[in-house]
Amino acid sequence: MLEIKNINVKVKDLDKEIIKGLSLNINDGEVHAIMGPNGTGKSTLSKVIMGNYKYELTSGDILFNGESIKDLEVNERAKKGIFLAMQDPTVIEGVTNSEFLKTAKKELTGKNINYFEFIKGIDEALEDLEFDSNMIHRHLNKGFSGGEKKKNEILQMKILKPKFIILDEIDSGLDVDSLRIVCKNINKYKEENKDVSVLIITHYPRILEYIKPDYVHVMNNGKIEKTGGMDLAIETERSGYHSTNEVSSED
Amino acid sequence: MNKIDIDIKKEITTFKYEEKELHLFDKKDQEVIYNVEDNATLKVYQYGININNDITINLNGNNAKVEYHYSTINYENHKYNILVNHNVSNTSSNIYNHGINVFDKKLDFNVTGKVFKNSDNCICNQENQILNLVDGDSTILPNLLIDNYNVSSSHSAYIGKFKDEILFYLMSRGLSRTISYDLLIKSFLINGSSSNEDIESLEKEIKNINEGD
Repeated sequence: MLEIKNINVKVKDLDKEIIKGLSLNINDGEVHAIMGPNGTGKSTLSKVIMGNYKYELTSGDILFNGESIKDLEVNERAKKGIFLAMQDPTVIEGVTNSEFLKTAKKELTGKNINYFEFIKGIDEALEDLEFDSNMIHRHLNKGFSGGEKKKNEILQMKILKPKFIILDEIDSGLDVDSLRIVCKNINKYKEENKDVSVLIITHYPRILEYIKPDYVHVMNNGKIEKTGGMDLAIETERSGYHSTNEVSSED
Repeated sequence: MNKIDIDIKKEITTFKYEEKELHLFDKKDQEVIYNVEDNATLKVYQYGININNDITINLNGNNAKVEYHYSTINYENHKYNILVNHNVSNTSSNIYNHGINVFDKKLDFNVTGKVFKNSDNCICNQENQILNLVDGDSTILPNLLIDNYNVSSSHSAYIGKFKDEILFYLMSRGLSRTISYDLLIKSFLINGSSSNEDIESLEKEIKNINEGD
C-alpha cells in the first residue's frame, strides 16, 4: 500500500535535514509502529507522508498503491485515502464539527451527502466513542479537552473512511479509559475494513497492547535503526532507545 | 433612563431598551454615534463590505455596557475608526474587530478606548485582527487612553495570514485550498454571531471574494 523509498527530508527555508535515507514498506492490512526518542523525526515523517508544505523531500519517493504521491497536494493525498490523526488537532472557531465533516465527506467522495446515511453514521460513531451527542454541533476542537480532541480525530476517521491511517501519538494525553475507547474503535474499523493499513507513531508500547502491530520500528536520528515485532517494543520500553539489541534490519 | 440613542449621520433615532442587539450589514460608508445610558446593554454585530466606518460609542450611564463585533471585507483603501468613551464609572466595553483585506490595498483600524479620570471600576477591552489574503497594506492602532487606576483593560492586534498549520489540517481531510479558505474566512468573519441571517449574507459575500468581485 505505502512504499517509502530512501527519502531525505529537510525543513523548507532552513538547511536542516530531519529524515535521512528512510525506507519503509507497509502492505495492505498491516499495522506498523514507529517508536523513537523525541526529535528523531517521527512526527515529521507522518507530516511528509500527508504532504505538509513545511517540509521538502530532497530525494527519494513515496508511493501509494504503486503511484508516486510526492508531488500531490495535501487534499489530493487525502482523496487517495490517506488520513493523519494529529498529535495536536487544530482549533477552528466558527466551524462546527458537523459542517466540517459534511464538507470533507462531500469533497472526498465528490458526491452530495446522503443526509440519512450521514446522520446515522455520526450517531453510531458518537455512541461507539462514548461522546456526548452535542459535540457534533460544537466548533471544531474548540474547548475540547486533550482526550476529546483525540476522540474527535477518530470520529473523523470513522466518517471519512480512509484506507491508510497514520496515528501520530494518538495515545498522548489520553487517560486509560479514553485510550481503550480510541483503540477499540480503531480495531473495529480495521476489522470492518481488512485491507486498511495503520502506521502508529508512539513513545510508549502501551497503545500496542491494544492495537497489535505486525512490525515495530525504532527510529533514531532521522532513519529506521531497528525493526522487529512486539518484543522490540517491550525491550525498548525496558532498556531505553540506546541499548536495545538489534532484532533485524529493515533495509 | 435605560435607553440607547443612536445618531446615524445626524439623523437621530432613539431606542429605549434595557438591552439592544443589532445586526447590521452595510455596503455604504457609515458614521454612527451610539449613546448608551444607565443600565443599558448594547450588542452590535456589524458587517461592512468595502466601506469606511466611523463609530463613536458614549457610555454615559452607570452600568452601561457595549459589546461591538465588527467584521469587514476590504477591496480598496478604507479606514475604520471606533472610539469608546467611558464617560462615567462602572461601564464596560468589549470590542472585536476582524478584517479581511482581499487585494494589495490599505485597510486601517484605529481603535480607541478612553477611560476618564473620574470613571472608576471600568472594563475596557479590544481585540483586533486583519488577515491579508495577498500582500495587502494594513495597520492597526490599538489605543487605550486610560486616566484612572481602577480599570480592567486589554488590547491585542494581529496582522498576517492564515496559519499554514490550520490550512494543512483542513486539507488533510480532503478540503481543497479554496474551500479551506472559505471556511476559515467565514469562521473569522462570523465574529461571534450565531444568526443564520448573518451567516447566509456572509456566505454570499465570501463567494464574491472567490469570484474576484
